Amino acid sequence: MASEPVARAVAEEVARWGGMRQTGLSLRYMMEFGARPTERNLLLAAQFLHKELSIRIARRAQDLDTLPFGLSTKPAILKVRDWYLNSFRDIRYFPEVRNQDDELAFTEMIKMIRLRHNNVVPTMALGVQQLKKDLGGTKAFPPGIDVIHQFLDRFYMSRIGIRMLIGQHVALHDPDPEPGVIGLINTRLSPMLVAQLASEDARAICMREYGSAPDVNIYGDPDFTFPYVTPHLHLMMFELVKNSLRAVQERYMNSDKHAPPVRIIVADGAEDVTIKISDEGGGIPRSGLSRIFTYLYSTAENPPDLDGHNEGVTMAGYGYGIPISRLYARYFGGDLQIISMEGYGTDAYLHLSRLGDSEEPLL
Amino acid sequence: MASEPVARVVAEEVGRWGSMKQTGVSLRYMMEFGSRPTERNLLLSAQFLHKELPIRIARRALELESLPFGLSNKPAILKVRDWYLDSFRDIRYFPDVRSRNDQLAFTQMIKMIKVRHNNVVPTMALGVQQLKKEQCRTRKIPSGFEEIHEFLDRFYMSRIGIRMLIGQHVALHDPDPQPGVIGLINTKLSPIQVAQAASEDARAVCLREYGSAPDINIYGDPVFTFPYVSSHLHLMLFELVKNSLRAVQEQYMNSDKDVPPVRIIVADGAEDVTIKVSDEGGGIPRSGLPRIFTYLYSTAQNPPDLDGPNEGVTMAGYGYGLPISRLYARYFGGDLQMISMEGYGTDAYLHLSRLGDSEEPLP
Repeated sequence: MASEPVARAVAEEVARWGGMRQTGLSLRYMMEFGARPTERNLLLAAQFLHKELSIRIARRAQDLDTLPFGLSTKPAILKVRDWYLNSFRDIRYFPEVRNQDDELAFTEMIKMIRLRHNNVVPTMALGVQQLKKDLGGTKAFPPGIDVIHQFLDRFYMSRIGIRMLIGQHVALHDPDPEPGVIGLINTRLSPMLVAQLASEDARAICMREYGSAPDVNIYGDPDFTFPYVTPHLHLMMFELVKNSLRAVQERYMNSDKHAPPVRIIVADGAEDVTIKISDEGGGIPRSGLSRIFTYLYSTAENPPDLDGHNEGVTMAGYGYGIPISRLYARYFGGDLQIISMEGYGTDAYLHLSRLGDSEEPLL
Repeated sequence: MASEPVARVVAEEVGRWGSMKQTGVSLRYMMEFGSRPTERNLLLSAQFLHKELPIRIARRALELESLPFGLSNKPAILKVRDWYLDSFRDIRYFPDVRSRNDQLAFTQMIKMIKVRHNNVVPTMALGVQQLKKEQCRTRKIPSGFEEIHEFLDRFYMSRIGIRMLIGQHVALHDPDPQPGVIGLINTKLSPIQVAQAASEDARAVCLREYGSAPDINIYGDPVFTFPYVSSHLHLMLFELVKNSLRAVQEQYMNSDKDVPPVRIIVADGAEDVTIKVSDEGGGIPRSGLPRIFTYLYSTAQNPPDLDGPNEGVTMAGYGYGLPISRLYARYFGGDLQMISMEGYGTDAYLHLSRLGDSEEPLP
């Protein structure tokens, strides 16, 4: 445990760095920079991250201290805040990065930071649950509680950015990258291919849960590719297809009618790649649609044991899949819209910016 | 022409009535009240309208005089304002409605008011054109044009309400109404049937313009009915289908590929009836989508000769079809959403509230 004077010094540092301006990057910039991963460039990148990560981490640590409705004092939230403080200390105590050895050590250090933060989402979810219980359930929510949604959106969006920056830097050290891949960015990502893989994964889950799974039909140009981050797209599509399969399965489980397939359409335009996932799973009433994007009202099962292992893809789950998928979509200038026809089915539209010019949203 | 003192008195009256509180009515209330069109009820209705209509008309007359960017001075806008002032005078000068004869005369009078205002939309459109022309000459499009959009939305929404109240009252005098019809409300409206009729009309327009028209496939429960105003639904569907047909036609005109049909899906839920109109007409870029709901950037041809006859359904046209369709949808608590997939096509979702409990929006 840190001593009093040390804790105070760190708190001052956190406040100082948390007040500095953040610098956003665009997908295109990351691609162009990462296309030449020379020693010099990696050094420059490390020096940039040395400052930028400190700013972003400090800002979130401050946020976590000042949440409304007593959220900051919930045990799970305190745990997350400690992770952020520890990571802040690790980065700030790391000496200036001046040569290749420094740079390699720095890269290992931020890799460890990323690992430390693997379980942030389920832990925050637990904190939200703790708050809900304390307040006496959703019926007893005080007015203005929705400000917590906005906080969580900002917080998770920032986390996506921090992990993207770290992940990209680490991946650029790969001595033998796949052709067309720059760090985490696949410059020739085929959305049809990702749709197929995500659908297979989602169908497997549906099979496991229900013993059967509706078909998924995918339409689009199989040769079309564009630059994007594969795990982001996979996560979003997996989530959307999973939801569609579940809705159709629940609707047609006890019916002798044939379950209608989920349909995925991939469209490539000049500005956007748009992917529509359509189901005939009965739809959601218009009055209930806004809830699917919230954190406070999600009907999540209990987050799993925090000592269990968690990989990146479990960022979804806890009922947070849809709001977090939307954050991923918006991270690179896209969006996720969901429209439903009550009594019929739901259409999800994933818009992905093709130009890659959008700067990270920095809140 | 009114003399000076008279004009001043009227202006005072307009100022007084224009700030009184408006009273909204729901579809359900109109249905329940109109189901018993006894002499007494018609008298009560006329007395209500004798107070309510001047409030709504005066409010609009006041707004027309205080528009930003000098819009109020445009000749076409002054013309519309005079219509509103004349109608205000007609109602205020009408004596108390006490007897059946009074009531019949009152009904004739408001019928004439409705006719006087038939051409309000094209005339307002002309006024906006006049403003645009002037602004374009100075090469300045001030950023506050948002104000004008918001004004037009309020103004046209109010007009829908005024014409609904008048039309409903007049229609209740029909001595031999169709079964299931209460004034303008068809308590057993079949959306599939309206979709079919609107599609035929839209295909006819497309045929006339292009010499051919894509097919339209309609899916849904053919025996499902719900209470709604036929002419409103017809206008909205006609507009949406017309746009879809045009998009598909333009996209496939010079191609030898099969022309994909426009698809209409009618879904009945507990809260809403949702009608989706889907086309594969190439879509609209995400950046261009907000524009389709504006008045100022419409690609309208010149509004037709103002002395020509105009029926109710020409409220659409002049490039105003989509924003005005959305107002109609919202008038009874519904909505119109458009989502597009650039490079593929566009989906329009018409949500109509099934419960009919929504009070008129009174801007």
